[in-house]
Amino acid sequence: MGVEEKGKVPLLPSGVPVGSKPHATDSTLFAQGRPKPLSLDESVAFIKNWFRAQSLNVMAYGTGCGSIELGPLGTSRFDMERFGITGGPTPRQSSVLIISGYLSVKTLKRVIRSYEQMPNPRWVVALGSCTINGGMYWDSYSTIKILDQYLPVDVYVNGCMPRPEALIAGFKDLMDMIKRGEANGYIEYQNNLDWYRANQRKVIKDWNLPEYSW
Amino acid sequence: MNEFVQEIQARFEVLWSNPQRPDLMQIGVRQVNALPLLTWLKSNTGYFILNHFSAVDWIEDGEFQLTYLLTDYAARRSLMVCVRIDRAAPTAESVHHLWPEAVTYEQEMFEMFGISFPGSPRQGVDLLLEGWEDIPPMRRDFDTAAFAEEAFGFRPGRTHTNPRDRVAIAFGQKGFLHDH
Repeated sequence: MGVEEKGKVPLLPSGVPVGSKPHATDSTLFAQGRPKPLSLDESVAFIKNWFRAQSLNVMAYGTGCGSIELGPLGTSRFDMERFGITGGPTPRQSSVLIISGYLSVKTLKRVIRSYEQMPNPRWVVALGSCTINGGMYWDSYSTIKILDQYLPVDVYVNGCMPRPEALIAGFKDLMDMIKRGEANGYIEYQNNLDWYRANQRKVIKDWNLPEYSW
Repeated sequence: MNEFVQEIQARFEVLWSNPQRPDLMQIGVRQVNALPLLTWLKSNTGYFILNHFSAVDWIEDGEFQLTYLLTDYAARRSLMVCVRIDRAAPTAESVHHLWPEAVTYEQEMFEMFGISFPGSPRQGVDLLLEGWEDIPPMRRDFDTAAFAEEAFGFRPGRTHTNPRDRVAIAFGQKGFLHDH
């Protein structure tokens, strides 16, 4: 009849009997270890990264067929704004660049110019198998195949095409990386600019961009 | 549409005709007759809309084929005019004065096939391939895969593509499932 067995106390999920008083050794109720002082830089970086991760502005720019996924992602069905991700109209007002699908050499030049105009910190999310290894454009005469030789990619989302849920998962990964301070592709780009420039100039034959597109 | 081909035959030499569908006729004419025929079709018949304009590389014959697809929307019929031109010196007469939309087609064909249309605006202006240095990529003697490998490279990764090999690597040669 549902009567508890006499003398048997039900347990909480943590293994603590119901009604028992908290005990100093209960690891579920008290923090373990000793306090570790954070330096001022670490505290500022933690707060800074937290704020940066919560407000991503995706540049309104679609390079390939993957940009068709950005419509449902931004509107009510998959609503990316509930994660703090919103659109940015220009490179100057954006922090995330989505390379959505195949990237032709002609578009690469525009992408480089847009990327360099974005203020730091900035991140690149590469979408689809075309950006990873060429995908179905593996033998195309005008489509680059390995995106991270030309731009620092923080998150790859594979698939052809990835669904908006996959893109949201990629954004979640990016946010976690930003919070941990690991999404540093833009620093890598500045430190290794010569290497990136050499790769870019190798495919863009009529190079007419400035030294750096401020 | 055979009567219509007879009507064309009375004015211009039709080398061959091929009724592909009841509403689509394909005819071949000489290059010297191409522009007079197209002008006549546009001014005197219902086929005054240039739907498509493209080229085919017949490398075995040493020729390019230019294909003009004209449509008569009132009669719901289309006429495909095929013209063979020399592949070694590919030059054709521009039709941009008849159809302004042909300018983009001619610009694209100059870029992708190397066919020049003297007098057409935007000839030689880059459309898609900026700074292209190789032979035009839509020619059939252009090796696309070799070019892509040389220019863009391959990402090193797994070498095997057969799922059976992957099973063998993971579970031994006998395989995970019984292999009859």
